[in-house]
Amino acid sequence: MGIKIVPRHGNTLKEKLYLPAIFGGMKTTLSHLITNLSDTPEIKTINYPEEQPHDISERYRGVHRLTKRDDGSVRCVACFMCATACPAECIFIEAEERNDGVDEKMPKRFDIDLLECVFCGACVEACPCDAIRMDSGIFSFIGKKREDFVLSKEQLLANEEKKA
Amino acid sequence: MAHITVDGTVLEVKEGALLIEELLANNINIPHFCYHPALGKDGNCRMCMVEIEGQKRPQIACDTPIKEGMIIRTKGANIDRVKRSILELELINHPIDCPICDQAGECSLQNYYMDVGLYESRLSTPKTRGEKHVDLGANVVLDQERCVLCTRCVRFTKNITKTSELGVLSRADHSVITTFPGAKLSNPYAMNVVDLCPVGALTSKDFRFQKRVWFLNAKEAICDHCARGCSIFVDHHKEKYKDEVIYRYRPRLNDKINGYFICDAGRLSYHKENENKEFHALIRGKISEYEYAEGKLLRLLKRHLGKTAFVISSNLSLEEMVRVQKLAKLYEIALNAYEPERFDTSFGDDFLKCNDRSANARALPLLGIDTSKEMLQEALNRVELVVLIGRSDANVIKEMGYTQNIAILCSRCEVTCKEVELVLPIASHTRREGSFINLDGYVQHSACAIQSEHGHKTLLAILAPILGDTIFTCKEVWEAELFFYEVLKGVSFDSLKTTPKIAL
Repeated sequence: MGIKIVPRHGNTLKEKLYLPAIFGGMKTTLSHLITNLSDTPEIKTINYPEEQPHDISERYRGVHRLTKRDDGSVRCVACFMCATACPAECIFIEAEERNDGVDEKMPKRFDIDLLECVFCGACVEACPCDAIRMDSGIFSFIGKKREDFVLSKEQLLANEEKKA
Repeated sequence: MAHITVDGTVLEVKEGALLIEELLANNINIPHFCYHPALGKDGNCRMCMVEIEGQKRPQIACDTPIKEGMIIRTKGANIDRVKRSILELELINHPIDCPICDQAGECSLQNYYMDVGLYESRLSTPKTRGEKHVDLGANVVLDQERCVLCTRCVRFTKNITKTSELGVLSRADHSVITTFPGAKLSNPYAMNVVDLCPVGALTSKDFRFQKRVWFLNAKEAICDHCARGCSIFVDHHKEKYKDEVIYRYRPRLNDKINGYFICDAGRLSYHKENENKEFHALIRGKISEYEYAEGKLLRLLKRHLGKTAFVISSNLSLEEMVRVQKLAKLYEIALNAYEPERFDTSFGDDFLKCNDRSANARALPLLGIDTSKEMLQEALNRVELVVLIGRSDANVIKEMGYTQNIAILCSRCEVTCKEVELVLPIASHTRREGSFINLDGYVQHSACAIQSEHGHKTLLAILAPILGDTIFTCKEVWEAELFFYEVLKGVSFDSLKTTPKIAL
């Protein structure tokens, strides 16, 4: 095994004094302060929550949504591929017979526990029917108790695709 | 004996036997739909093609008798091309609705396609549509579009049950499996066609959409629905934040007892194993802590020492019976296994089902446990406490004029449970292991012990502290106690895997 000798820094008088390095660092900070004072609109901050972020891209993985068929009914057929792929095991599905002639099977219950979800997008990749997507653009989800974070089928169906 | 060369390895096989039989017996993967060991060859699916040296074209392995010196290739680009073409043909009218198909995950068509599929449709005409949800009767649902017309189900009703309800109707790509007009699939073994069906054409109405099969864990067990004791798989799964649930029983191959099949009644008997969720220990009808009820049992036994009778169920395992008998002998407790409802003359038939509904009644005479009503009556006249073990039919005891204390150790809540001194739930059939002697004297071990979340202990675990020893498992019981029994000579716990037979 080869050994690489790394030179040790910090032994010179200039380095041991610390002050030159501090002033060097402060120079950068002060230069930013002066630039920002003279040109306020360029500051990279927003007045959240009054002002919402405008850089949520198309690929951003937000809160899930269940897509609908052309007739407005749920597209999901409860095949459990998302629940199988989910590394956090946060998708809870119960299947039932579908009798409206559109398909044979649909979810009776489709819950996603957002507190357990790691927003990895594996469910979206796994879905063979394009029934679950994460393109709602919802990046912040608020609830008052733990149960509020378990999204039901109805809530997931109500989430809309984020318009560009 | 003949020697054949398969993919370069020499195998010693039976001359004249079907090639597919011997190849499958040697763990060589041969895709097949229509061939089934219990139904024999049919040669209609053409899936089991192999190359045989000296033959012009690939041959089907299921209808080729073995000859000495055959050289066979089951792999290679040529044979893959043949398989790919056959699968393409099978899938021309297949709906490819795997997301909603219950068979997905254990589907032959799916598995073979994963191996050698074309993955690209060349079909330009619309698919021939069939009916998607045909209720054939007997809990069997047919999807005509998914069918590959292997006719396993047709041959099962023709050759095994001899009821011939199913047949193939129409020609070419309009061919469908169907029953005769007005008739339904109705025989006590009908649900076996669901297991036989290699694809998702026949699915069980009972299991339909209940669970995807890849979540299921299979455990080996013995069916306790009648004295036949068919070998089964118990498919169970514990969903996150939920209790362990059994989803289905499936037949497990056992040449000595049930072959490849089980009856529908036994298959559906798993429901009772899921029903004990709300079953708690009861003291005079009031819910009690399990540990407290366990202590109460011990106190009852102590208080009525010498004036106690055990009335056991003939469904207890061999190990449990031996342990109960030991306890009875130690404290001079009367032991009886009288069961008026043991025989059900409407249940049996000449295939697998039998009238004797007890899982292990053959063990009673072997161990010398009395089953007569007279002896029970005699015992009831002099005791102050009756402990029903593995059963809850307190009304039988009451009808015999007994009015004093009754304690029940059982796995299922019945009406009578509310009216007795003590009810202590014990682990039900699939939640504890045990050995059973079947109708013909075969000793089998049911190793399925799904963890009980309700803290219901096994009978062995309840008896061990009362007996003052540490024998909790079946293996320990065999080594410590069953070793002495003359009738079980030559049978050890490890030999139970081979289903030994004893003289009854």
